[in-house]
Amino acid sequence: MTRGTLIYIIQRLLLITFTAVAISSIVFIGEHALLPGDAFVSERPHNPRELALLLHHFNLDLPLPQQYQLWVTGVLHGDLGESLVNRGVQITPLLVRELGTSLELGAAALIFTVGVGLTLGLFAALKQNTWIDYVASSTAVVGYSMPSFVIATLLVLVTGKLFYIWTNGAFYYEIGWGKPTQILVPAIALGFPYASIVARLTRASMLEVIRQDYVRTAWAKGLRPRIVIIRHALRNALIPVITILGPLATGILTGVVVIENIFGIPGLGKEFIDSILNRDYNIVIGVFTFYAALVGLVNLGVDLLYPVLDPRIRY
Amino acid sequence: MTQRSGWKALSGTVLATLLLAACGNSTPTSSETLAADQTIRFPINDDIGTFDPAHQSALVDFDFAQNIFQGPVKFDNAGKIIPDLASKWDVSADALTYTFHLKQNIKFSNGDPVKADDLIYSWNRAALAGDAYAGNFSPIVGFDAVSATPPTAKTLSGLTKTDDYTVVAKLSAPAGWWLSALALGGVSWVIDQKVVTAKGEDTWWTTPDGLVATGPFKMTARVPKASLDFAPVANWWGGSTGAIKKIHVDVIADQASWVTKYEQGGYEIVGYANMSPTAEDILRYQAGTHKAELTLNPSVRSSWVGFSFVKGPFAGDAGKDGRSAFTMAIDRAQLVDVACAKGAQCTPATGGLIAKGLKGYLGDGADSTSKFDAAAAKALYQKWDPTGSKVKGLKYTYNTSATNKLVAENLQAQWKQNLGVTVDLEALDRQTFFSNRDKKTYVLFRHSWSADYDHPQDWFDNLFTCSAGSSGSGYCNKTMDDLVTKADQKPIDQSLSDYISAQKMMIADVVGAPLFYSIQPYLVKPYVKGAGGNAFFDYYWTGLRVLTH
Repeated sequence: MTRGTLIYIIQRLLLITFTAVAISSIVFIGEHALLPGDAFVSERPHNPRELALLLHHFNLDLPLPQQYQLWVTGVLHGDLGESLVNRGVQITPLLVRELGTSLELGAAALIFTVGVGLTLGLFAALKQNTWIDYVASSTAVVGYSMPSFVIATLLVLVTGKLFYIWTNGAFYYEIGWGKPTQILVPAIALGFPYASIVARLTRASMLEVIRQDYVRTAWAKGLRPRIVIIRHALRNALIPVITILGPLATGILTGVVVIENIFGIPGLGKEFIDSILNRDYNIVIGVFTFYAALVGLVNLGVDLLYPVLDPRIRY
Repeated sequence: MTQRSGWKALSGTVLATLLLAACGNSTPTSSETLAADQTIRFPINDDIGTFDPAHQSALVDFDFAQNIFQGPVKFDNAGKIIPDLASKWDVSADALTYTFHLKQNIKFSNGDPVKADDLIYSWNRAALAGDAYAGNFSPIVGFDAVSATPPTAKTLSGLTKTDDYTVVAKLSAPAGWWLSALALGGVSWVIDQKVVTAKGEDTWWTTPDGLVATGPFKMTARVPKASLDFAPVANWWGGSTGAIKKIHVDVIADQASWVTKYEQGGYEIVGYANMSPTAEDILRYQAGTHKAELTLNPSVRSSWVGFSFVKGPFAGDAGKDGRSAFTMAIDRAQLVDVACAKGAQCTPATGGLIAKGLKGYLGDGADSTSKFDAAAAKALYQKWDPTGSKVKGLKYTYNTSATNKLVAENLQAQWKQNLGVTVDLEALDRQTFFSNRDKKTYVLFRHSWSADYDHPQDWFDNLFTCSAGSSGSGYCNKTMDDLVTKADQKPIDQSLSDYISAQKMMIADVVGAPLFYSIQPYLVKPYVKGAGGNAFFDYYWTGLRVLTH
């Protein structure tokens, strides 16, 4: 790693920290100053002392600037506080665990996206205007047109319910999380729309590249087809694909919000919705902080991939 | 039959026979053959709020904790108060002194013995914590000092012991409802001071080794917001813990996936811990071949339309005909059809405002104000407000939720159709709505209540008496108040008729327009026995058993 790259990484990490704190500060202030209601609202009115004890427990009886100061201090020490709804649940370890789950799902979806997208795109380009191209392109159009929650719901119905009935329980997708077999269907639901994007992009890019002079030269030299396609054509065709990997990975990370809720996966995306519905403001802020940092880190990772594929790029 | 399966069958039969002798509340038959795997799995939509008895208030938390904790008395599955940690209790002739005689062999799950000091510590701690149910100790002498802001005492002066196994509670006034409040549990459950001190006041209950209590089950694992596991306490002081060896609970927000997983064999039960399958699933089971797996139980919640008695057109005697017209104009069957998914989630309220299945429920069809009669309603309305001036700009106010919106829109349509009255709808956020309702701000509004414990006092003192904090309407009937005050002091078997008379006064005064009672659905696999619940809570886990299937 060059000195320039190291400086670039440090600069980006500082920027990510600043962005995460800034975004979560906006959420913190918005929640505390603008939104009506709180996690303690119930039909049975709290007596004043009970409410005072609750507010005191969570520092909510302090002036807003002091609350903010305590919160920022906590964040910088890695302590995002305690859940307002689920007493005793510390938010930082909770979100770290849930982040792990979301990353597992996101990574599986990304592998599916890139693997399936590249394969479809590659075959569609190499067999242009054949039935293979039509099938691959049509599949991509279907995936591109359908939102992931529709795909997810259909997959749950087909693989979770109908497969169970058709095979009398011998083969089906088991709802839940924790077993290796339970990751495949949600990963497909999450990755399919993005795989379609990659497929379309790869096809277009490959069609352009395989008509280039240097590819023609490679064929003329008598190189084996695998060498020409993989080493000469695909490597260059991948540059635009890599370019969209950043937004694509970010899309997958935010897409887990929907997918985790449909499949009941205990990850950060499910927490995002639950905490908002429960008015668990402390967790909401924590989730925003995590997401802000995560998106920044993913983009940094993608940016660091560029020099690997294109030596002209330097930091 | 192989040797292994033969042993399984034999051990199953032996276990079933033992259960028959051991379990009071469950009713296993000698022909039952238990499965080798005695695991029950069910889902909940969010993690538990707290297992600390001093802070518990959510029904979901109680449904778990009643299997972990114990107090001096409890409700059995049929809703009868029975001894739990106490072998017996005495009430003095003036009903001011309660003496609890604790059993002498009680042990916490960590082996610590339980004595009178543990009960006194637990009660004082809960009273001082001042959370939602601390008021259950309000009858005890000294509660005012403990609950003052700031507290002027840290212990209830009326709570003492005469020896290691006898606790005496002196009351400041007779309270016939008090045993019911104690039997519900929560603040009255006994905890281990040593553990609380060692593990921390706020966090002692959050881990399996910290959650120490006297009940038949203990928590064995917890992944916050993901899963909970429970197992019977080995050598439980109370004897048999029943057949079940493991309870596994998944935290999954999506209700639809619960039933899919149930149908995949991933859950034995859906509906425990105050959860509900989706309305679509309930309707599907009602119409399908697996109908027997579905049970719809009355729940503890009742919903009605509140009328203001302090301002607006419905106030006082002058507003009575208007109140009657507005309640008579509601076709509850249609309302339930529209707002409760064809009755899958609630039933029409026809037996008073106290929910069906609870003490004080008047009986189906007993509330004359819930009878739908569009013609009579319109005639009464036109007599009361011939020019329409009284209801000009009338608003129905509710807090935003999908169900509340459906209810509000249906009421609006029915009042328009049956009375010719245009009622505007006002949807507010929860905080604003509840806060203003307690201040009696609204003229026509949504009201509902979930019983805290199975005693009419809970409803009257919170909702219907002149000083009720959650009344919303400002209804005040001194004659009824006097009757309720006297009834509150008597045991339930002597006071029930007074509460029923008081409810009849409310019906005569048309205090509200009853709408519906909530339903608690249970989906239970046919090979699981002892599952279900009463209006208040799930049946205890000690009675559950999984048969061979």
